[in-house]
Amino acid sequence: MAEKSPLAVFYFAVLGILTAAFGFAYLLVTIGIVNEFTYSLMEIPGDMFGGGWGGIVLLSAGLFYLMGLKDFNEIHQFGKIVMASILIWLLAGCDIFVMITESIPGGDEGWFNTLSGFIETYYPPYTPAVLLLPFSLVVIYYIYNRNTREEKE
Amino acid sequence: MTLDAATRWDIIDKISKETIAFGKYRHTLTDAIGELTVKPGTGIPIAIAILYGFWSIFGSFAGFFTDGFFVRIFDEYWLVWLQGVFPGQGGWLYAIMVDAGGIQSGQFIPSDNCLEAFGVLTSGIFVAIGVVLPAILIFYFMLALLEDIGYMPRLAVLIDTLLHKIGLHGYAIVPTILSLGCNVPGVTATRILETKKQRFIMMTLLAIFIPCGAQIGIMEDVVPGLMGWIMLYLLIGYFIFGFVLNKIVPGEAPEFLIDVPPYRKPLVSNIFKKVWGRLVGFFKVALPFVLLGCAIVGILYMLEVIDWLAVVLSPIFIGWFGVPAETAGPLIAAFLRKDLAVAQLSTIEMTEYQMITAVVLVSIYFPCVATFAMMLKEGWKELLAALAVLAVVVFLYGGLIHVIGILLGVA
Repeated sequence: MAEKSPLAVFYFAVLGILTAAFGFAYLLVTIGIVNEFTYSLMEIPGDMFGGGWGGIVLLSAGLFYLMGLKDFNEIHQFGKIVMASILIWLLAGCDIFVMITESIPGGDEGWFNTLSGFIETYYPPYTPAVLLLPFSLVVIYYIYNRNTREEKE
Repeated sequence: MTLDAATRWDIIDKISKETIAFGKYRHTLTDAIGELTVKPGTGIPIAIAILYGFWSIFGSFAGFFTDGFFVRIFDEYWLVWLQGVFPGQGGWLYAIMVDAGGIQSGQFIPSDNCLEAFGVLTSGIFVAIGVVLPAILIFYFMLALLEDIGYMPRLAVLIDTLLHKIGLHGYAIVPTILSLGCNVPGVTATRILETKKQRFIMMTLLAIFIPCGAQIGIMEDVVPGLMGWIMLYLLIGYFIFGFVLNKIVPGEAPEFLIDVPPYRKPLVSNIFKKVWGRLVGFFKVALPFVLLGCAIVGILYMLEVIDWLAVVLSPIFIGWFGVPAETAGPLIAAFLRKDLAVAQLSTIEMTEYQMITAVVLVSIYFPCVATFAMMLKEGWKELLAALAVLAVVVFLYGGLIHVIGILLGVA
């Protein structure tokens, strides 16, 4: 069980630092220290709900990743890594759900959105939580690995 | 046959050896995550995240149906159709049932949206179906999901210490969260608390500081940018006055013992049953009061009772609470329809801070008539005591918000 996982530790350390940095950036934008931030694929929300509350959640996710790095294979430490990913899934899931609910109604144009309008809703920029989503999914591989190893034992 | 103690122990040993398998228990990932959600250091950020998800989905889902479809259905079709077919335009029955409208140069001006029509069949049905139904549907769905997964007992454990400061215990989170859907089941759920003191404190705090789904739905619709501040003021008030009530209300506030179940995969049938039961309960108990409230507000407006009260009470509203005189009408009518009162407030010209104060006042000023009836069912003495507390709270807290605004230079 005391198996070393340097690659996993390195990966989640980088992911943790990035996640915490984005969470911090959400808060800076919300407080107004940094102006609204949109760059290429990414847009950081600056409202009290998405930026303030969401920023706290993203910052927590980053800290959970970093807290779980020591003794990565110990179940309670690994639980923190999994929980960090769950928090990102929750945030990104909410952002994607907002996109879905905005893409269907037509507003003043009609009952339903046009096909181009529907597709355009899913164009970038995305929130950092959505951009971090695919990287956080890596934890599933480690959960699967762990389960397989435990079954063998 | 009588067995001595040694023989009994031998038999117990024999049975236990045959029936119990001893081994080393290995903590699973689910156990580890379960522990993370109850330890304050990790549990509080997780609770913040779960509540974020809860409200984000709530807002998106309710907005999708209300703004995306129901506003249009009701304003462009239902209202127009009723205005065309209901006889006696401009008459009292028409005003109560369909559209109070407005009078300009002796001419009746029909309303162009259901929210401002103030009729039982227009505003009443629109709020009930178009605003409240999607809001409480998703609210009860999310709540049932959290209950079924096994998160609610963990939230109760996590918040236990904090709620003890206001004379309650962790399970008080259940009526509190239920009240965010509708205060009526929230008041009923106070029965899970053990002592009279706890039930009184809980019922009073729910009636004053917890806005229901209908009100939240309307706030999301008409003052979305101010929601955070309004909820923050209500949350602060919940704890301040809970703390005070705990000090002055006699009685006990015992500890609670709870068996925290493991996390489980939710069952669709369970969730469906819970959501259905709560929705039916809402429509049976609260909906008639919603429609009745709408009718009574209409009658009071027609008899100019609310206008008269607004004139009489306006010095208090302007001087003490720092809100414009025009808000007196909606604030008085809020007893019957808090949601519509918020909608009325949104049409009055005032500063952002005045709007925050006015909406907070609508929330804390009086329980809606359905909650009032439910509190009466729990005991008239408790209801009278709760109302006395409420009067003091409105006056003090409303004044305090005004003072804070003056100090911040925004009031």
